[in-house]
Amino acid sequence: MLLLASRAMGALLPVGTRKGLFLVRGEGNSWDVEGPLLPGWAVYHAMVDPRDGTLHAATNNPFYGATTHRSTDGGKNWERSEDIGLPEESGLKLNATWHIEPGADSELWLGGDPGVLFRSGDGGTTWEVNRGLLEHPTRERWQPGAGGMCTHSIQLVNGTIYVAISAAGAFRSEDGGETWTPINKNVAAEFMPDPYPEVGQCVHKLLAHPKRPERLWQQNHCGVYRSDDRGENWERLDGNGLPTSFGFPLALDPDDPDVAYVIPEQSQEHHFSAEGRLGVYRTSDGGTSWELVSDGLPERAWVAVLREGFAYDGDGNIYFGTQNGSVWTAPRGGSEWTEAVRDLPPILSVEAAAP
Amino acid sequence: VAVVLLPAVLAAEAGGQKRFELDAATVGDALRQLPVRNLLFDESGELRRLINVFVDGTDARGGRLLEEPLSAESEVRVVGAVAGGSACAAA
Repeated sequence: MLLLASRAMGALLPVGTRKGLFLVRGEGNSWDVEGPLLPGWAVYHAMVDPRDGTLHAATNNPFYGATTHRSTDGGKNWERSEDIGLPEESGLKLNATWHIEPGADSELWLGGDPGVLFRSGDGGTTWEVNRGLLEHPTRERWQPGAGGMCTHSIQLVNGTIYVAISAAGAFRSEDGGETWTPINKNVAAEFMPDPYPEVGQCVHKLLAHPKRPERLWQQNHCGVYRSDDRGENWERLDGNGLPTSFGFPLALDPDDPDVAYVIPEQSQEHHFSAEGRLGVYRTSDGGTSWELVSDGLPERAWVAVLREGFAYDGDGNIYFGTQNGSVWTAPRGGSEWTEAVRDLPPILSVEAAAP
Repeated sequence: VAVVLLPAVLAAEAGGQKRFELDAATVGDALRQLPVRNLLFDESGELRRLINVFVDGTDARGGRLLEEPLSAESEVRVVGAVAGGSACAAA
């Protein structure tokens, strides 16, 4: 995982929306918007590769399918993936591309629907499906969530790869993606006949802490969890200050492994901000307790922040985008929020990059 | 040669070119020559479900679709199906 400091020089936020990509630049109360780039494409996730500055986007169109685009000139010109798809013998077709993550050396990883992972060794020109996950022996027990069966979280830490899939659960690979071990112990799947199955959990977002890599956090359909042993065991954390256990996005502090942020929603049936307010909740003690940090955020709001809509940078600044097209920013701690941009199309993703 | 016309998003993906003149015996031959063929066909080679093709103003789905023969004067128009209004599910 690579994080770059951004606020000192201003931030660059690739913001994916249903109607293309926007680049939001600025700091404090001064922000500019460039876009839409890639008009016509729903950008489920976009990021700037910190290794070479290439802008990558997971792009989807209801007519023309799922693919990826990349730009080496800041979004002026784009190249589309030349080869992406699932092998015919799998009987599966690629429904959507969800998340792009830099890997070791020059490699890239891409998560997609239906619960698939790809690796690219050529900068995103071609993508090779990961067989270990495609042919995982538990796959028949996976099922799609409301957003499809999406591989949305990819974390690479010290040679270990973590992925999370809705609704298949979290998996860990120690051998570069050859084999995958389910890591869902003590994670609830209350919608299943067995509420603690080996797989089938609906993870909404999973992150590893960059400086304490054995510590994982997840916002799940059924609660917020932390693991201190690389996913072997999970502890449920909600109920100590969180208004609800349900939500999608998650952010961390790059320097303090005990800090995490979530944005709870009302319930699995009501996907809008909990208690009718737009609230970010922070824990500073590893999830033992949570407090509302909402200075500057609207006190009456029924909005949603999707799973890719929350980001943090190397300085600990935090950013999120809403379904009603606003981008909010705050310095470390989240004590004071600024609406950087408003009236964009519905926001699917926010990332933080060095400008 | 047959003429193939692309809608805006596909034309953008083809480097801004929306009109192609191609030597093609059938609709399938023509579409597979396009630089955006992997947006028209899925990984198993099937024409994507929400893509309509009109040959000289007639919906090719009502005929032989990809096997529909083309003449030297044929105009092939690629059109996204009328399918607006649904939400995308990036929850």
